[in-house]
Formats: sequence, C-alpha cells, structure tokens
Amino acid sequence: MKDKLRNILGNFFISVTLINIAMLVLGSIMMPEQKFGYEVFIYPIVYGVIGIIPALITRDGKELSVKQTLLKNVIQMLMTVALILAFIFGGHPVDHKLIMTAVFVAVSVVLIYAGVIAISWFLDKKTADMMTEDLVRFQNRYSKKRA
Amino acid sequence: MEINIKNIEPSQKEYIEIGCWRVNERVNEIVRFIKLKDGHVEAYKDEKQYRIALSDILYVEAVDDRCFIYLDNDCYESRRRLYEFESLFPSDDYIRISKSVIINLMKIVQIRPALNGRFLCHLVNGEDVIVSRKYVPDLKARIRGDRS
Repeated sequence: MKDKLRNILGNFFISVTLINIAMLVLGSIMMPEQKFGYEVFIYPIVYGVIGIIPALITRDGKELSVKQTLLKNVIQMLMTVALILAFIFGGHPVDHKLIMTAVFVAVSVVLIYAGVIAISWFLDKKTADMMTEDLVRFQNRYSKKRA
Repeated sequence: MEINIKNIEPSQKEYIEIGCWRVNERVNEIVRFIKLKDGHVEAYKDEKQYRIALSDILYVEAVDDRCFIYLDNDCYESRRRLYEFESLFPSDDYIRISKSVIINLMKIVQIRPALNGRFLCHLVNGEDVIVSRKYVPDLKARIRGDRS
C-alpha cells in the first residue's frame, strides 16, 4: 500500500506539471484573450487529484502481467477522461463549441496520461540500468568467491 | 559444542542428528548449510521423481497451492512450499521478488522497467519475470551487497 501511494504521489506531481503545460498550450490556442485571477493556480492541482482517483480506487490484489497492467492503465485513463470532462462540462448545455473544447480536453488528458507513463518509465529505466550494473558486479563477486 | 562422527554400515542410510537445548538461529544456520551441501531438491514431472541441482534452477513459482521449479527449458512440480525454498536455497544467490516467485540472481541477464514502478528480470533462457514494487528495495540492497 505504501509503495502504491508513493507511486501515485509521484504520478500526481508529474500530472500537475503536465496539466500546467497543457493549460498553457490549449488556452493559447482556444482562448488567447482570456484573463485569470490567482484562483487559476488551483486548477492543475484539482485536475491532478481527479487524475489519481481511478488509481486510488482500483484494487491491486493480484500480480498483473505487463499486458494486464497496460490494459488497467488504459481503463484508468478512460475513467480519468470521463471524470475530468464531467467536472469541467457537467451541467453545461451541449453545443458545437463545448464538444470541440471537450475533444481538445480529452486529447490533452490522453497526452498527459501517456506523458506521465513515459516519464515514469524513463525514470525506472535509469534505475533498472543501475540495478543491472550492480547485478553484474554481484554475479562476478560470487563467481570469484566460488572458484 | 561437542561433535561426534559415527561410522555406520554401508547398508544403512546416512543421517545427521543435532542435539540442542532449543532450535535457534544458530541451529537453523547449520541446517541450511547441510542442505546446501546436499545441493539438490526433489521434483516431479509426469509422475516421475527427479533430483534437480539447486544451481540449475532459474526460479520457483507458487501457483495456487502448487509450486513449480523452472529450469532453462523444463518445468517441474515440487511438493515443497515456497517458504521452504527460501530456507533451502543458499541465501546469497536466491531472493524473493514477488509474493509468488523466488529467483536465482545468477540467472538474470538484465533488469528492465515494467509499468507502475515494477521491474522485469530477463533470464538466461529469454523469459521475463516480474519484480513487485514491494520487493524492489530488497533486490536493490542484495545486489548492491547490503545484507537485508
């Protein structure tokens, strides 16, 4: 559980950073004239929290294969898209502009989700490479000890 | 501690007996050492019994209530439980990497990232075995040489 929370927390901070970038890019394209107050700083955190809800509520009982984990991530991503769209657009009348914005937001969420996974994977890759180097040293040490 | 060695007839089965006041870690260590020197484990395949050298084992996996021993190209079933293997194996070479797998560190070729903070051990026979998040710190400590 501790490891799961640590992993989720790591993903949360990566998400918040990427959401900031997405808001900057999306806002500059769709509403460049928009002005905001200080409350705008809370939105990346709120979206980040919404983004980790699916990971928090999904059970981690069984050891999943890589394919199963990938499928689980896709399901969690779709849940995140649904939650964020409901949070932003829930209760608003549906028109062409709303659909267009929703599509952009959904694509952004997918890109952010993929970005979070890619960044985590690269950080893990660095750790894995260091572990492989340690492993080779360990194997040499024990082979010599036995010889 | 007094050590007695008794000669027995070739027809008799060899044995080791330990006389102790209580079974403590020191006694367990002696037992582990003797088992290691024996260096084999019994396993079954197609209802036949085999003796498998511990050093040939790639990993041992528990599936439901059964335990399977994986070699380069073969898989055998064992009647031992996974926790029994933990005490049977020489503690330097083997480590638990998930709830259901104990792996031979000498048979890992490479460690790769999997998703969600887990890792994959790529073995000499091309197989990949998952390291759970919970067991990653123990694996890191062991291969770095810190005793856990």
